[in-house]
Amino acid sequence: MTNQPANRYDASRAVHLAVIASAAVLHAMGLTPWPPITSLGAEGRTVSPLEAAARLDQLLADGPSPAPRVDDATFLRRVHLDLVGQPPTPGEIASFALDRDASKRSRITEKLLADARFGRNWAHYWRDVILARRSEERALLVAPSLTDHLSHRFNANRPWDTIAREFITATGKVTENGETAIIMAQQGKPEETAAEISRIFLGVQIQCAQCHDHPTDRWKRQQFHELAAFFPRVALRPDREAMGRSFLVISDDAPRRFVRKDNDSRRRGTLEHTMPDLQDPQAPGTRVQPVFFLSGEKLDYGTSDIQRRAQLAKWATAAENPWFATAFVNRIWSELLGEGFYEPVDDVGPDRHASSPATLEYLTQAFIASGYDVKGLFQMIMATEAYQRESRPRGAPDAPVFMANTPQRLRADQLFDTLTAALGISIPEPMVATGGPRAIRRSPRYQFTEVFGFDPSDPRDEVVGSIPQALVMMNSPVLDLATSARRADGLGKLLREIPDNEDLVLELYLRCFAREPSQEELRTCLRYIKRVGRRDEAFEDLLWSLLNSAEFVHRM
Amino acid sequence: MNQVYRETEIAITDRQTMRRRDFLRVIPALGVSSYLAWPDRLALQAAEMRRQGKACILLWMQGGPSQLETWDPKPGHSHGGETKAISTTIPGIEIADTLPQTSQVMRDVCVIRSMTAREGSHPRATYLLRTGYLPTASIKHPTLGAVAAQQLGQLDADLPSYVRIGRGPRQGAGAGFLGVAYDAFTLSTAEKLPDNTSLTTDPARYQRRLGLLDSLQTAVARPSTDALVGEHQGLYKKAARLVLSPDMQTFDVQREPESMRKAYGDSEFGLACLLARRLVEAGVTFIEINLDGWDTHDDHFARTQRLCQQFDQPYAALLRDLRQRHLLDTTLVAWMGEFGRTPRINPRGGRDHYPRAFSVALAGAGVLGGQVIGQTSADGMEVANQPVTVPDLLRTICHTLGVDADRENNSPAGRPIKVVDGGRVVTQVLAGA
Repeated sequence: MTNQPANRYDASRAVHLAVIASAAVLHAMGLTPWPPITSLGAEGRTVSPLEAAARLDQLLADGPSPAPRVDDATFLRRVHLDLVGQPPTPGEIASFALDRDASKRSRITEKLLADARFGRNWAHYWRDVILARRSEERALLVAPSLTDHLSHRFNANRPWDTIAREFITATGKVTENGETAIIMAQQGKPEETAAEISRIFLGVQIQCAQCHDHPTDRWKRQQFHELAAFFPRVALRPDREAMGRSFLVISDDAPRRFVRKDNDSRRRGTLEHTMPDLQDPQAPGTRVQPVFFLSGEKLDYGTSDIQRRAQLAKWATAAENPWFATAFVNRIWSELLGEGFYEPVDDVGPDRHASSPATLEYLTQAFIASGYDVKGLFQMIMATEAYQRESRPRGAPDAPVFMANTPQRLRADQLFDTLTAALGISIPEPMVATGGPRAIRRSPRYQFTEVFGFDPSDPRDEVVGSIPQALVMMNSPVLDLATSARRADGLGKLLREIPDNEDLVLELYLRCFAREPSQEELRTCLRYIKRVGRRDEAFEDLLWSLLNSAEFVHRM
Repeated sequence: MNQVYRETEIAITDRQTMRRRDFLRVIPALGVSSYLAWPDRLALQAAEMRRQGKACILLWMQGGPSQLETWDPKPGHSHGGETKAISTTIPGIEIADTLPQTSQVMRDVCVIRSMTAREGSHPRATYLLRTGYLPTASIKHPTLGAVAAQQLGQLDADLPSYVRIGRGPRQGAGAGFLGVAYDAFTLSTAEKLPDNTSLTTDPARYQRRLGLLDSLQTAVARPSTDALVGEHQGLYKKAARLVLSPDMQTFDVQREPESMRKAYGDSEFGLACLLARRLVEAGVTFIEINLDGWDTHDDHFARTQRLCQQFDQPYAALLRDLRQRHLLDTTLVAWMGEFGRTPRINPRGGRDHYPRAFSVALAGAGVLGGQVIGQTSADGMEVANQPVTVPDLLRTICHTLGVDADRENNSPAGRPIKVVDGGRVVTQVLAGA
């Protein structure tokens, strides 16, 4: 490929301009220009999360009427659901309420970040990000190993660039190496894999340019295929030893000369990527060299698979490429506040406009300066006043942003765990690692996910409840049994152990909503219990009503 | 109270949309109507009036059904295998001997023998045939049923607009970027009511629970939750209405007389076809039935024979029944799978994936029956004339249903995406063309 377009976009220059531009924004706001990356603090040291949070709140333009600071109970449920994916127990609620220490909010954040459920909760999140876009069902095979892999990484607080590098350069058996998930989800196809890596790690939807130059984006079709050219030697083969129950991601640097032309398999790689001829799709197409679209850095033809992917990982995660950090920061902020700087969360980049750009810039640079410290980022965001405000429904598109937190619909795993916690029963998790997709689909958690799951990259205000979800909550025989007063555990146990109706109402509110009932709610409940007469039946009805309410399926 | 309300509604709709004559025509044709319980009759009448547009029953043959053992036999050629051809009620049209009952209803069937595509993998081809697009990670295209539900369905009706009977394929199955409102309402089987629609308590207690839920949710006004609660209550009202609706009886095929169930054959697929007819009567826009198992890489002839037996009788019964009820003019019955199978028989007595030349069959909704479109070569390897592509087929289906194939929906990234990209209506399919 010698005939590069003459007006080829010089990415590194634009990045540079973006940094200068944001410095200008800060300057215009009367704030100091951008400090050097490694020293965001005053004395050349790295700032603490709390200092950073204060700075972030300062940078957020004050709107007309920010929502008040959220009460302790709501905060505690929020922070639990956000970090460990399930609500606090009644005991945890009580001790948090009694705690007089002014720093208790940051202490609980710290404590939950050290909880092993943190890794698992966010592993579920990223599993959904990757697998919601799977192009084939067999990709589900990778779900258990992916969850394990990411749980360990997040709990060990491995830096985000390390995690990304592992995904980009992954090889091996998919059921044992969760980092093969993106490649597995896209069946090893170079174009699809490249598109997903760009979307997930850079927040750039370059695949829009797969078939034609995009009218509003700068990315050219050529550039998309140059990115795909990092992956032609990736092969995906059924693992014979696992009898079709696993696949191997392989670096195939010596593909056969004659490969059966077959649309559906990537059992063998190809030496170089070719860009199809749009006029004649049957023609062999033009050979394309690996070039990273954001920096223009390129590799020679003939480079080995491992070198290609390692190099791409290095360029993509480099500190000079702000989109890598921006994409992550934007996602986590959006998950925690219910509103992103860029929306959808995976569509950022130089042609998009961020709301509150100065805040985003600071957060991004702080994240880079921290060495992509994932837990640190959570601490930073959760210490802001913006995070700790009461929730409000999303405002009009032109309303000032981040003046309140936003209610978030629980993800399927959060809801599943919240349900079992609220009911005080355990649902055994089957051994899914060896059973293949069918066994995975039979597990209660997966079946729940089928009905309640959504793609976490979709704009959250477009994720709405469905009739089948309401039917599960209202009428499913499983839930009916789980809420029965005749159980030895769960509600049955509570009915026996808590003789006083008012106390039991309180207990159910704590378990379902992690708060006490208001006077009005308590009166309504007691009136209802009196009207029904039969205690067991009345409390079954009450538990049913709490589980079926909007508050239960949202984090406020 | 509910009943009074419904009666009034029907009386109003009666004057507006339906002539007395239509009633007289529909009711006796049912034959069994006098035996039906009142709510059943009500459902039927309401349905007849509610149905403004057209309906579609998609018979999805998962796995890639063999054209050579169904619509395009090649008895004189080595590729034909042991399958013979039989004549049909239409002189000059022969189909495979696996479909004796179908051969008797050919006057309603239009066979397209010249389907041609390039996708030979199940997931990709399934996605293609059902959405008109190839799968990508970035855009989830809506499946045909979701498009029909969006354009023809009535969101305020008790019953869903799009019903799937049995687990369908997992690709190209959802409403994609159109949103969950247009997703299929899925029944695991026609033999029992849809999951989670039977009350777990008696109706009085159920109503009481709904009342408690309502009063607790509105007991305290909270700026953080009020909007959510409103939305949530709307959803619950709809779900509760579905569960409590007399129309739910539509899902109960046991209400059909024994003779009718016999006519469709007492198999799972037969019952699903019978249920589909009941749903069309009740005003459901799109019903999808899946018959899995066509991926016959080995032992092809015996396996295909069994599959053909499974659909032959119900298919013929469905077309007859729809015709008798004057529903065939407005109901499209589409028979298709993701691709055909290789004319050459492999060493294991199987046929492999073959998208290059395969068959589909359409009937009803203005399709001119009793004709064959296109031909394959003598060895079945090529389309000899009148090739029909997937966009051509989907555009033709849209045309018969009155679905605007050129309507653009926006993907989440804001890209306008047509229902069908390219393709041309195969006018020969249509009556009066």
